[in-house]
Amino acid sequence: MPQPPLRHPGNHNNAMKTLIAIKEQHQSWVRDAFPNMHPLLLPLCNKPFIEYLIDFAILAGSREIRLLSDGSLMEIEEICQTGSRWGVELTYANIRPEDGERELLHKNRKFCNGSRTMILNGYTFIDYDKRLDYRVLANHSATGPIASCSTGSIAFAGPPEPAADDNPLPALRITPLDSLRSCYHIAMQILETGAERYVLPGYGSEPGCAIGRNVAIAKTAEIRKPVSIGNNVQLLPGTIIGPMAVIGSNVIIDKGSSISGSIIFDNTYIGEQLEIEGRIASGNTLIDPESGASVAMEDPHLLTGIHSATNSATLLRKTIHALAAAILILLQAIPVIILYPLLRLQGKWKNGPITQQAGLAETLAARLSLDRFPLLPKVLLGQLAIIGSAPRSNSPGCRPAVFSYAEAEDWPVTGSDAAIVERYHAVHSTPFNDIGMTIKALINRPHKRNAGAAA
Amino acid sequence: MTITETTGSTHTIVTICGTLDASTAPDFRNSPAIADPSRTVVIDLDKMDFLDSSGLGALVGVLRRKQEANATILLSCMNPPVRKVFDITGTCKLFHIFDDTDAATDYAATYLRGR
Amino acid sequence: MAFRLETQNGITIGIAELDERLDAENSKALQKACGDWQQQTPFLVFDCTKLDFIDSSGLGAIVSCLRRSLEKNGDLKLAGLNAKVSMVFELTKAKKLFSIFSNASDAAASFAASRQP
Repeated sequence: MPQPPLRHPGNHNNAMKTLIAIKEQHQSWVRDAFPNMHPLLLPLCNKPFIEYLIDFAILAGSREIRLLSDGSLMEIEEICQTGSRWGVELTYANIRPEDGERELLHKNRKFCNGSRTMILNGYTFIDYDKRLDYRVLANHSATGPIASCSTGSIAFAGPPEPAADDNPLPALRITPLDSLRSCYHIAMQILETGAERYVLPGYGSEPGCAIGRNVAIAKTAEIRKPVSIGNNVQLLPGTIIGPMAVIGSNVIIDKGSSISGSIIFDNTYIGEQLEIEGRIASGNTLIDPESGASVAMEDPHLLTGIHSATNSATLLRKTIHALAAAILILLQAIPVIILYPLLRLQGKWKNGPITQQAGLAETLAARLSLDRFPLLPKVLLGQLAIIGSAPRSNSPGCRPAVFSYAEAEDWPVTGSDAAIVERYHAVHSTPFNDIGMTIKALINRPHKRNAGAAA
Repeated sequence: MTITETTGSTHTIVTICGTLDASTAPDFRNSPAIADPSRTVVIDLDKMDFLDSSGLGALVGVLRRKQEANATILLSCMNPPVRKVFDITGTCKLFHIFDDTDAATDYAATYLRGR
Repeated sequence: MAFRLETQNGITIGIAELDERLDAENSKALQKACGDWQQQTPFLVFDCTKLDFIDSSGLGAIVSCLRRSLEKNGDLKLAGLNAKVSMVFELTKAKKLFSIFSNASDAAASFAASRQP
């Protein structure tokens, strides 16, 4: 994510330190609502929560920041690393759930080293403004808390500098981040006040419109400011995005759907002809941030608006898939007959050739996708589709298949991305498109393998 | 692994140098201040270069016994690889962890004496 | 699915109480029952107070009930939608097709009121 440079204060008199302390008890609602997300990475307007705290610490003049938690910090450490991305030194330490400010300072005495220390305590949103200089505040505020709310506080420790002039200190407001409701309202507020106040991800030629990388917007899709759109997003024809829409990364908004006053989290597929207003959508769950009520959108028709499904297409699909499989079997039969004894003798054929090693025969087997050959007869029997969800995937709602749509598309084939591509095609692809996709998969698979992304 | 004990009035500083694993855990358990359940110890991990699950198990077991006897273990100067072991296993919640041995001993002297 | 008839201001209004779930299993039954009710009156109220889960086939059934009531110059009004059910109606834009009331008696009264000279 591109970060506009934040100005650093001069390294005058023992630069300020910041302790960021966040406890599990304040984040439990995030764990409940989004079990797979680390609460510190909760996106607020497409920017992870922790980055706001880091930005503020930098604005306050900190070059050394320590992140404290009574839970695991591994995931955060993997993402934030040493903090070099922000030009700061980021370290990590653990605390206990009952530790107060006094204990935090005591446990990190070497880090604080007697210098001025800011303690950002709790799961709260700091309503900072990047245009203001918070170093004045940080250097001159009396020891103790300067702002607090129900889930945390900002406090200072260590000797303040005597106030040099009567510059008014910029006011700070902190808001508890204690529910889906507050998360929704804070994200909407960030979107509204926009990039003027916060450092936000994405590019935009005009204010109120930030768009990430690899975003495909159909000609008839309409964008109404303010919006924030992440990376790898597809907006299909007739969609209306905004006003007030936050679209995360790896999202597909299908034909004719409209999103306003809503947050669509990463890895979400919104079906056709749906209207989402004042909601949070995450994966297949749609949540009302006010009441907390949620509905699952796993019903295939809910993903595609209201129209009745027809089963006649299924027979046609099966027939065409079986035909395609038969043709593939005939095409692959000759290379299989030649390569099978060769690879079998070398012990490189177990339920299909092993295609990772780099011998000539293996490379040839990989190029021709012979590893999938043993699965093809199952298509003839109607047990598998020729193309569908990840090979042999058996999760509910998927169409288990020999090849997957994700393999055919040049999309990044990480788990959730692949699931979205597959879901999209499962809804849209006709049996004849499937043949085209199968050919694409056959061509793309060896190409991907060469690129180091072996299936 | 070498263990050095420095005994103070209220607590003992135990410095562990080297590896705490299945082979060295018994030595650790038998070290006098560790074996005495009523003794509060500050364990300095600055020179610990490896900790495995049996080492961690020994630490947690000793902590339990000490807590039953109203004493405790304070850890100090944990390096990043060792911190990861505590983080992954969730045992970081059980211990008081300090970045400085002096701070840990002060803490033991001031806050824990009253208990 | 309890069904009762009420007469208000000379109009016969049919009030049906929907069960907890309306999905592929019982949506056909609702459509069939609704056909019988519509023999008696095209002015219907579905009391959804108990309804907690609805899927697309349930939604489809309710929409087709509405269509048939409209064909007979009547209407189908909904009452007592909980937050979850209401979200499904909003999401699929089906909410725009219906007059929605907080309770069944308000819905019934609105039929009577619309007939007032």
